[in-house]
Amino acid sequence: MFQSLINFAQSTGIAALVDMFRSGNWIEAIGTPIMIVIACVLLYLAIVKKFEPLLLLPIAFGMLITNLPMFKGADAIVMHPEFFTDPEYLKPDGHLDMSLILGEGGLLDLLYLGVKLGIYPPLIFLGVGAMTDFGPLISNPKSILLGAAAQFGVFFTFVGALLLGTLIPGIDFGVKEAASIGIIGGADGPTAIYVTKTLASSLLPAIAIAAYSYMALIPVIQPPIMRLMTTKKERGIVMEQLRTVTKTEKIIFPIVVTIVVALIVPDALSLVGMLMLGNLAKESGAVDRIAKTAQNELMNIITIFLGLTVGATATAANFLSMNTLGIIALGLIAFCFSTAGGLLLGKIMCKLSGGKINPLIGAAGVSAVPMAARVAQVEGQKENPGNFLLMHAMGPNVAGVIGSAVAAGVFLSMFAG
Amino acid sequence: MSINEALEINGKLPSVADALSVGGQVTLIGLIIVFSVLIILMCVLVIMRVIFTKNDKKPEIVKAEPAAEETAVQEEDDEELIAVLTAAVAASLNTSTYNLRIKSFKRVGNNAPAWNKAGLNETINSRF
Repeated sequence: MFQSLINFAQSTGIAALVDMFRSGNWIEAIGTPIMIVIACVLLYLAIVKKFEPLLLLPIAFGMLITNLPMFKGADAIVMHPEFFTDPEYLKPDGHLDMSLILGEGGLLDLLYLGVKLGIYPPLIFLGVGAMTDFGPLISNPKSILLGAAAQFGVFFTFVGALLLGTLIPGIDFGVKEAASIGIIGGADGPTAIYVTKTLASSLLPAIAIAAYSYMALIPVIQPPIMRLMTTKKERGIVMEQLRTVTKTEKIIFPIVVTIVVALIVPDALSLVGMLMLGNLAKESGAVDRIAKTAQNELMNIITIFLGLTVGATATAANFLSMNTLGIIALGLIAFCFSTAGGLLLGKIMCKLSGGKINPLIGAAGVSAVPMAARVAQVEGQKENPGNFLLMHAMGPNVAGVIGSAVAAGVFLSMFAG
Repeated sequence: MSINEALEINGKLPSVADALSVGGQVTLIGLIIVFSVLIILMCVLVIMRVIFTKNDKKPEIVKAEPAAEETAVQEEDDEELIAVLTAAVAASLNTSTYNLRIKSFKRVGNNAPAWNKAGLNETINSRF
């Protein structure tokens, strides 16, 4: 009986912690408690500060679970991030060793396959599509260009990440990493995850956390840039009322977008196609049950799986590096320059239209639906209380979703494989 | 350095010049593709607009405030608006539409008190 007590004591996490200190693996020994503290800070931000809690809470909890000390090889380990990134565990050709993952993987390993195989982000897009109204975009086609201009930050940050890689020792960003970091500027979590899992999966937790945190901070990040780049008069511009859009147009739009995107950027099809399927389900009115499931139950289920497993890849060795600091800095730059790109084109369109377009709606071209549009609305209203920009800003906002998915497709076609 | 060469390095690029040239090429190609896809979609939307709004020439009905309610005779073509106004006035005066005749109406700007506007804005914003 005494022996089984000792056996039990040796299997506990406390024993593993002691063992970790003895082994002299200092990154893990010191890093693990730091990671647990970071996880708790993120939980605090999610619960108390309400930073995108739907995603940050599962991400932070996944981070907590994966960093709890346990013996290597213990049955209780729920996540083995090394199965997905460490060349020692991959097949010689670099593919995942499925039989190893299925045979020895824990709960989160199995769920993480949905990220690694690119299943969750498109399914989230299905739900997003079922919640999106493309009406404002259809009634004001010009606003789609603002969604393209706001991708400027994506490419600017790509260059920035390459520069940081060459200039700062300890930061190891090649083109693949730079592309994954740049896509943070698309302000679209699923897109960022989709690109990163393909191009640079060891950066996944840092990029996902940066993308979702900055999305939550959009009401803080955008207004100063908006005020800097526009005049008081421009911000007060009241735009003409949008025409009403017929149901036929709303049904044709998703079909046409899918065809056009598939023809030009096939790599963006799994994201855009699912987005448009969700939207078609909603707008057609014929499959109400599918639309409801996509935007509620399915979306919630996938959100849990996605957040939890992305968080669970954040081990000390993976997360506590100069790379993460670089990503946090570059992510902010990406958001700022995407906002600036949208505002710049907004200003040009304002001039060309003879002052009919409020440049603030350009800032909504970074996706982050509907937060970015709401920020445009609030800022416009500060200058002119009778100014309702919300619906006008929704046009560039949903165009930004398509734009960042296309940018993701460009990166994937250039660098994947 | 070309994009493919950079891809083969599979890690940080050797020099700042390489980073700038690869970055510049990718930025150029990327922005051209993103813009061309969205410009094509814009053209599709414009075409759709032409097709679907051709027969839709009737003026939009904008909600008007019944400010100065009754004075002169009214033309025939605003029947729908008059009906709405009559119903609104009847509801606010707690009477039947049969007891009312809208003789004229005048559109006025939004001069609601600041507090009303603030309340309205707050309600709208809280929905998002």
